[in-house]
Amino acid sequence: MNLQTHESLWLDGRHTVDAPELGRICGLSSGEILELMEYGALAPLNAQPQSPVFSAGCIAPLRQAASIRGDFDLDIFTVAILLGYINRIAELERQLRALHAQVPSHQHAQREGPAVWHEAHAGRTENRARAADQE
Amino acid sequence: MKYKDYYAILGVPRDADEEAIKKAYRKLARKYHPDVSRTPGSESKFKEAAEAYATLKDAARRAAYDQLEPHGAGEEFAPPPQWRQAYASTEHAFDDVELADLLAGLAARRGASRTPAHGHDYEAAARISLEEAHRGTTINLDVMHEDGSRTLAVTIPPGACEGQKLRLRGRGGKGRHGGSDGDIYLHITLIPHPVWRADRHDLYFDLALSPWEAALGADVEVPSLDGPLMLTVPAGTRSGRKLRLRGRGLATGHGQRGDLYAVTHIDVPAALTAPERALFEQLRAQSRFNPRAIANKEQSHEPANA
Repeated sequence: MNLQTHESLWLDGRHTVDAPELGRICGLSSGEILELMEYGALAPLNAQPQSPVFSAGCIAPLRQAASIRGDFDLDIFTVAILLGYINRIAELERQLRALHAQVPSHQHAQREGPAVWHEAHAGRTENRARAADQE
Repeated sequence: MKYKDYYAILGVPRDADEEAIKKAYRKLARKYHPDVSRTPGSESKFKEAAEAYATLKDAARRAAYDQLEPHGAGEEFAPPPQWRQAYASTEHAFDDVELADLLAGLAARRGASRTPAHGHDYEAAARISLEEAHRGTTINLDVMHEDGSRTLAVTIPPGACEGQKLRLRGRGGKGRHGGSDGDIYLHITLIPHPVWRADRHDLYFDLALSPWEAALGADVEVPSLDGPLMLTVPAGTRSGRKLRLRGRGLATGHGQRGDLYAVTHIDVPAALTAPERALFEQLRAQSRFNPRAIANKEQSHEPANA
């Protein structure tokens, strides 16, 4: 077994990517990247139209949209619409996760996850009190 | 080599035009795509339709395919002898090749076969614990390549949160004709924790309080990633209130940390001792507090003798 160590790069706002690299990563041409910008589906971080730079956070949704494009043989305008919905779903999922985290667990529908936290020693005290009560 | 009837798979006649082929494929893709259908076997039907469409939508591949004598689906057949020479001069071995790969290889040879091709990208999932996300971790990732299996030790730095993605550049499939190697995309999910729920880098947990702790205030021991902490619960704490411990959440990866929130809820003893019952009876007689009052609860919580 050949074990190789490799550092990783977060796909979020901490990093940026230029248009040719974004196109290569997502399997789109420079013209198609430009078209997505014209439709307002991709917004560059800078104001220079000659060399647009994007947040690395747009890589994952654009790759997903490009993959669906391949599967259904969609045109680039449909990809622009699709990208908007993918981003919207991701934001709604993020909001749902935030709500699940903030709402007490006993108010959730049955799901995998945390139960109500109890201090171990407090539980023992209550048990002792109950035992004393029953005696 | 097994014959595949691509026209039959898409349900179109052999003389179907491009538009009819595209329409037939889209109908099947809509029906069998893994994102749409959960029916067993639908994924293989989708892949079959995608393979048929990839061949028939490409004029060069379709022309090569149409040179073959029609056979029954799955029937063994021998491709024309000249194909062996044409295909073998590419970088692929001819034996055991699939029909779709053979047609793609032949079409590529006729066209711009030496254009740089980016290597295959891989998608993988990593399920890590909350503590691993906080402190960072290294996971071993098995990657299957054409030349065998490799194990990559992938460092996940502190600051990971649910749904984040990592890109491992150049660790996917080998590029061809001078093209760059593919990447690996790692999707991070957090294993549910028995105590804490994470919202990005903030942590939440349920803190049960007795009625007297909630009413009078108390110092209670609470769990944190750094070990037990003392939390001061202010007097008059109601259920659902969030008490914040600043900077005790998950590491953000920028040298900072999220916050830790105790979400309070008031619990009562399931069974009362005789003295407890007497005290609650006394409280009921004395207190004018009505939790169902529509008016300001703070005012209604004033003691009867105040």
